Amino acid sequence: MNKKNILTVQNVVWAAILLAALLATPHFLKFYHQDLLIYLTINVLVVCSYRLVTLTGEWSLIHAVMMGVGAYTASLLFIHFGLDMWFTLPFAGGAAALIAALLCFPLLRMTQFYFLIGSFAAGEAIRLTWIEFVGVFGGTGGLRGVEAPILWGIDFIDPIPYYYLSLFIVSVCLFILYRIENSRVGLTLHAIHWKAPLAESVGVNAWRYRALAFIVGSFFVGLAGGLKVHYLGSVSPNQMGIGFMVFILIWVIVGGYNKFYGPIIGVIVLTVFDESIRTFEVLRPAIYGAVLILSVLFLPLGLESIPGRLRSWFGVGSTPHEPPLTDQ
Amino acid sequence: MAILEIKNVTKQFGGLTALNDVSFQVEEGEIRGLIGPNGAGKSTMFKNIAGFYTPTSGNIVYRGENIEGKPPHTISEMGIVRTFQETTLFQEMTVFENALVGSHIKGRTDIFSAVLGLDQKKQEAASEKVMEVLDFMGLSDRKDQYASELPLGSQRALALSIALVSEPKIMLMDEPFAGMNPEETNHMMDLTRKVQESGITLVLVEHDMKAVMGLCHHLTVLNFGVVLAQGTPEDIRNNEKVIEAYLGGA
Amino acid sequence: MELFLLSIVNGLIQGGFFALFAVGLVLIFGVMGVVNFAHGELVMVGAFTIWLLHAQYGLGYIPAIMVAIILVTIIGLLMERFLFRPTRSDPLAGLICSIGVLFILQVAATLVGGDGPSKQVPPPFEGTLVLFEFLRIPYQRVFSLLISVTALGTLWFFLTRSKFGWALRAVAQDREAASLQGINSNRISIIAIGVGAALAGLAGGLVAPLTNINPHMGHNVIITAFIVTIVGGVGSLLGAVLAAVLYAMLHTFMTVYFGGTIATICGLILMVVVLIVKPSGIMGVRVSE
Repeated sequence: MNKKNILTVQNVVWAAILLAALLATPHFLKFYHQDLLIYLTINVLVVCSYRLVTLTGEWSLIHAVMMGVGAYTASLLFIHFGLDMWFTLPFAGGAAALIAALLCFPLLRMTQFYFLIGSFAAGEAIRLTWIEFVGVFGGTGGLRGVEAPILWGIDFIDPIPYYYLSLFIVSVCLFILYRIENSRVGLTLHAIHWKAPLAESVGVNAWRYRALAFIVGSFFVGLAGGLKVHYLGSVSPNQMGIGFMVFILIWVIVGGYNKFYGPIIGVIVLTVFDESIRTFEVLRPAIYGAVLILSVLFLPLGLESIPGRLRSWFGVGSTPHEPPLTDQ
Repeated sequence: MAILEIKNVTKQFGGLTALNDVSFQVEEGEIRGLIGPNGAGKSTMFKNIAGFYTPTSGNIVYRGENIEGKPPHTISEMGIVRTFQETTLFQEMTVFENALVGSHIKGRTDIFSAVLGLDQKKQEAASEKVMEVLDFMGLSDRKDQYASELPLGSQRALALSIALVSEPKIMLMDEPFAGMNPEETNHMMDLTRKVQESGITLVLVEHDMKAVMGLCHHLTVLNFGVVLAQGTPEDIRNNEKVIEAYLGGA
Repeated sequence: MELFLLSIVNGLIQGGFFALFAVGLVLIFGVMGVVNFAHGELVMVGAFTIWLLHAQYGLGYIPAIMVAIILVTIIGLLMERFLFRPTRSDPLAGLICSIGVLFILQVAATLVGGDGPSKQVPPPFEGTLVLFEFLRIPYQRVFSLLISVTALGTLWFFLTRSKFGWALRAVAQDREAASLQGINSNRISIIAIGVGAALAGLAGGLVAPLTNINPHMGHNVIITAFIVTIVGGVGSLLGAVLAAVLYAMLHTFMTVYFGGTIATICGLILMVVVLIVKPSGIMGVRVSE
């Protein structure tokens, strides 16, 4: 909520450099890595929308499935009605938000452990529905044949235009998410996390705010799902299962969930790391698991906290604030 | 005129009766003390008024309206705000942000206005209100410190500020003097009087007899969930039953 | 009618198997407050051990089960000492660590067994028990049921009659109060996870000849364990056993008539309904407000 002038010359210069770097990146990459860059961009939106959900202190295990809801919605609209991505994306987000809104009634009666398990169960039920109803959702194989749009002669099936497109969409979404977190709504979400009864004592309807975070977070991850399926071309139940959910958790936790940019750092660093251990093939999940354990044990505030730690190590600045994962 | 009426409130937990047919009235503008030995049901009474519990039977009437069983956020929106036992603050936020949460009712906004910045006027007004209260409570110098870094006296003052920012009609204060040294207690008593003089009705649960006797206009004594006596501090001091059950034992 | 009776018997057998690992999950959660997401992988490791030692290297079935139990118990103890104990103040951190373990165990199994198709272990007990001329139950399943019941009975006896059992329940109720009474909660945690892991290893050993063994089989196990734990009441061992039998019957029937996926969806919905209507489960007592 604090008012700082963000339009200083220095900030503008940094923003320009960042933008130039983001725009230039794909031109230095091979085709395969350009693909990866697109998925990374989309995953940034996935982790940032997840962070919004976790702001109230509740960790859900349904976020990956919500992305699937978006992806399936976009696919069905494209396959059956021939809708282009411009039209499927809002529906993809909307469908995830709608499902989230319905799930609020059972799920948000629970907190902590119960919410975690409850959201996992609800997610699995949705995922198994995709597997079971083969006629609609294509069963285990999922849906395929979704295409990227063509506009003004630009075929977005090419990685570079699609990267620019997703960069733009994701940036807009991140801006919105950032604004939400730094507004009074964000303040209230934080307040509910740290002391829900105190927040309620000054008129905060905690249930409504938890629902709001869950629905808005689901909207953006649904949109990310739509964005992904229009490039990848297909979606399957296993792609959006607990495995991907675990990756979201790892990115957020390793990056650090106390700051807006923590999860972004997490997803970028780990994606690069993942590429660098590609040669290990089957060992990769185990390396990931080990990284997850080590970061929880030795870097509970995530990569984001390293600069602060270094500063305090050398005796400059104050020690980082260390709130626990869950409020006791 | 009574601003708050407790009418025959009973609260049971399983087989245990925490409050048994409790009735009393709080006059507008007064400081009302709720005292009694540990386990007498004082905090339970507070939680019933503030909506954290629903009475098993009986009514709680605020300005002629039944409020028992309404959720906490609705009750605080109607103007009854509680403070908590010990120091309950958002430790991870700054003093300013803590107090800002208190302005929720006036400052709340929908998500679209928040993103588009349409609520700027409203938020500026809320910030002004917050600064006014922090000045009033002598906390404006510390507004950018984390709540966890404040000394005990200032933490309690901040807890009061959060409640005050929400512009309550009645403030329920749960043991505001617990754990304080005499100096801090005196400062807190001054603050409490200032709050009352600004027109807010206060109900406080407290063990510190010096503070209670010095501050309150009327006292209600609870013992084992029933009202033992009511009256001015002078009456209570001389009440045989109270001396036997409570003051004598202390 | 025959199908109905057979389903009941199969449900009972399956229920005994469900109860074995669900009880372990409940024990670990009750005593240590941590959800062990890798519990299904402990069962998987047990089953893999049988495949490797019994089916590949010809070790006897019973000795192979013994090795499986010991191996899985050791994994459990390592998890307690190096993951759950340092993160005790933060239950979510413990859960996240167990997800890390899940990955590591899956990879370990892949390395041992290769990436090929699911493995099968030929049933060590051949032949079929025939009751009333139409109930045909393979001896392998009879054996599985007998062992589950024996193990659960022993556990019940241990928890209700021994001093350790008493201490275990005391820690599960209130760790601080228990330590004030001189109970060493670290030792109790070790026993809880030791017993929980041993039961998971045993469950893996029993299920090995009856199922397809692959590194990802833990997924269904943990879903089942969650359903059973929630429906039975978090922290209630008796509830977990009852819920295991009930859910196994329900699942067997639903699978016969509607297919396995629908059966699991129904289980998940049942679980969410229980979470809403009676979060304490069918046998549980609400611990805190």
